[in-house]
This record gives sequence, C-alpha cells and structure tokens, in this order.
Amino acid sequence: MSAAFDTHTEGTVAVSTGEARDFFALLKPRVMSLVILTALTGMATAPGSVHPVLAAAALLAIAVGAGASGCLNMWYDADIDALMSRTAKRPIPSGRILRSEALAFGLTLSVGAVLVLGLVANMLAAGLLAFTIFFYAVVYSMWLKRSTPQNIVIGGAAGAFPPMIGEAVVTGHLGWHSLVLFAIIFLWTPPHFWALALVKSGDYARAGIPMMPNVAGPAATRRQIVLYSLLMAPVAVLPALMGFGGLIYLVASVTTGLAMIVLAFRVWRRTEGEPAVKAAYSLFGFSIFYLFLLFAVLLAENGLGLMVSLPKVFG
Amino acid sequence: MSDNGQPPRAPAPFSGEDMARRRRRSIALALVLAGLVVFFFVVTLVKTGPAILNRPL
Repeated sequence: MSAAFDTHTEGTVAVSTGEARDFFALLKPRVMSLVILTALTGMATAPGSVHPVLAAAALLAIAVGAGASGCLNMWYDADIDALMSRTAKRPIPSGRILRSEALAFGLTLSVGAVLVLGLVANMLAAGLLAFTIFFYAVVYSMWLKRSTPQNIVIGGAAGAFPPMIGEAVVTGHLGWHSLVLFAIIFLWTPPHFWALALVKSGDYARAGIPMMPNVAGPAATRRQIVLYSLLMAPVAVLPALMGFGGLIYLVASVTTGLAMIVLAFRVWRRTEGEPAVKAAYSLFGFSIFYLFLLFAVLLAENGLGLMVSLPKVFG
Repeated sequence: MSDNGQPPRAPAPFSGEDMARRRRRSIALALVLAGLVVFFFVVTLVKTGPAILNRPL
C-alpha cells in the first residue's frame, strides 16, 4: 500500500472531482447485489418472521455494510488495483476519488450500517455485520490477500456471512439453515475465483498477489477446482433434504450442481491455449449464474409460497 | 508540507466541468440525507408502533 494516490505531483493540493456514481462504484455494486440476495434468502428461510419495513431496513444496512467493506478494500488495495487490467479503472487508481476520501467514506458507512442494524434488528445481527466488515477489510484485504494462496478460501467466509446475518435479523440467533447457506457460498468461492485466476494469473503476478495458480501452479489449481466443486455440489442439495428447499430447488441444485462439476472437469482436462481459457471463463460465468439461481429459487420457494415440500431427510 | 519541503500549492481553479461535477455530487448528497430522514422516521414509527402516540401533550 502506498500514499501515491493522495499526492499530486509538484506539491499541489489534491482535490477530488469524484461524482456520486464514483462513490457508488466504491461499494462494489455487483458484489452488493449478491449480498442482498443471499441475506434476503437467509431471512426468508429462517424459522420466524419480521415486519417487512424492518426487514427492508435491515437489508439496506447489510447491503451498505457489505459495500463499506468493499470500499475499504479498494482504499487499501489502490496500489495493486492500478497494476491489474481488471481493476485499473476503479475510482481510486483512475484518479477520480482520493484514497483519504474512500477511507472516510468506508469507515462512515461501516459504523452507520452496524448502528442501524443494531437499532432495527438486534445486537447479534449487528455484531455479525461488524465482524464481516472486519473480516473482509482487515483479515482478507490487509493480511491474507498478499500473504497466502489460501487467501480467497479463508477470505471467502466474508462473502458467506450474509445469510447468517439474515437469519439473525429474523430469529435473534443462528441455526442450521443459515449455516448450510454459509457452507454453500464458502465452498463455491474457490472454484469461482480460481477459474478467473487461471486466466488472469499474469495480472496477479504483476501485482505480487500469491493466487493459487501463481504459487502452486495451474495443474494443482485445476485439481483443487475439481475437488471443491465435488464438495460443493452435494452440500448445495442439503436445503432440499433439510426441508427448507422444495422440489424446484432439488431439481435446480442437482442439475446445475452436475453442470458445475462437468465444467470443473473441463477446466481440469483443457490445459493449453484458447480451449483452456474458454473452459475457465465458462466455469467462472456459470458459477455466478449457479449461485444466483440457487438462492433465487430458495427465496422464491420460501418467500413467494412456491414451495412444493419434500420429505425431510434430516435437520 | 509537500514531499520537497515546500508548502503545498493551491489547486488550479475549477473548470466549468469540475463545477458541474461538484454540483451533481452535492445534489446526490442532499438526496441521500433527505432519504435518511424519511428512513429513520418510518423505522421509528414501525419500531415504536401505536405507542408513539401514547405520550403526554
């Protein structure tokens, strides 16, 4: 990390020219949309109910908290973001927002989101949100990301917490439902990110980030993608066996889970040239669709009354 | 003080485009603040419920 993005050359005072959309971009809106979906699903599958206005307020607080952690991540990573093609156009490396502004913005939103969630929901939900922000901004961004190839495996927990926060909002405690949803996102993260890392390994090497393909090599990464996919697909079926996913979820999770495994094996087998790049991009793209689909179906079944119940196997 | 020990120089005057950008940013901030007022008002009503009317006048 360096202060290069706050000092202009020749000792001139830096003045921000960022617009509202630049500040919004600091919140990583695409990640935020996934957090909204998974937190809402956590609320919908939780045993209990909450006033719709309070649920919406809590969801807003969770989304803003997630956005704040993304903002703090961009504040800390501005130096390496500038070196990678995927992130060079972000508001800080492109010079539209000052690092000091991003830090102030991220901290303000973090404190505000946690306080609001504590007021509209409960202390457990607020505490979990605070821990999630800390985990992503400090444990992942400041520590793991630059020090170990397991960065996105452990750091993936930050992205997996929202369903637990959602359940805590509704019930005031944590149960098996949100733990299973946590496990699905946690196991989904490595194949998702490593598929991208295989293609962008040059970018990560230039920035000095020890991603799995750069450290253990592409072959070991491909093997681990297959292993995590084989673990993830059965875990993703658990909601149907535990009674909070219905028939539609069972069909969706089995078919798309098998597709994930097929695409993971394709990544494993195609190791050279354009076919390898295509296979990695296919897995990366499909993994996003897969997670959105699983959570959207669970949400529709539990929130819109589309559940066709199945016999409960366990849980 | 800047890196070379000299006092920092003032930034160049804002261009018309800079001013327009800052104006749009100020308007967005005003809208967010107005939204927060409505947000806290509605949440307070819902959290407190009918008891909000139960106070000495």
